[in-house]
Amino acid sequence: MSPANLDNARPDLAVALNSLWERFMPEMRRRAAIVETATSALALGSLSSAQKQEAASAAHKLAGVLGTFNLEHGTEVARRLEVLFSDAECPDPTSALQLAEHLRSIIESRK
Amino acid sequence: MARKILIIDDEDDIREVAALSLETVAGWEVIVAGSGAQGLARAAAEHPDAILLDVMMPGMDGPTTFRELRKNPGTAGIPVLLLTAKVQSTDQRRFADLGVEAVLFKPFDPMTLSTQIAEALGWS
Repeated sequence: MSPANLDNARPDLAVALNSLWERFMPEMRRRAAIVETATSALALGSLSSAQKQEAASAAHKLAGVLGTFNLEHGTEVARRLEVLFSDAECPDPTSALQLAEHLRSIIESRK
Repeated sequence: MARKILIIDDEDDIREVAALSLETVAGWEVIVAGSGAQGLARAAAEHPDAILLDVMMPGMDGPTTFRELRKNPGTAGIPVLLLTAKVQSTDQRRFADLGVEAVLFKPFDPMTLSTQIAEALGWS
């Protein structure tokens, strides 16, 4: 259901969801920052296995929650990052960087 | 009919959105637990009508929590629905094979989560 439809169907739910989003925004940003830090390390060739695992976990959590706040595209992008950082092979730095930037902009754009 | 649902999830945001959804849309009573161990205790003490159980949790994960629930005669009969962000078919089959009533996926739609649960459990 789109945000507009949700607003019309259950304004009380939409308002409460917006309030929860505001409250959990710092956690969303923290998870995005973990992914970005790993992406930077990847570009520098210094990504540790622990960082890679942490980034996959943060992306997994974002994939699970963003769609719940009407950010379905955020879920798709986070899922692609989760796959990148879960892969046994070294992730492609350019793809990771683009996806991480995109993810951040999706999170910051939600009103 | 008012139902009592136990949500077991280590992530505060998911737990709170799910609780908000079930309380606001369906009018159900919601109790929560932030870990598998806490969930076992709450299930035994509160006897909910169903349990929404996260798969990936630190410590006792969802499948282990489910098996512990089934071992206890006081909680063995409570329907359990797994909640997961894993979308690969191999994971889905593995979870379904555990014997849970249903597997639901994150992200869920807060508007329809209660309907998904009710349909999975045959609640009218």
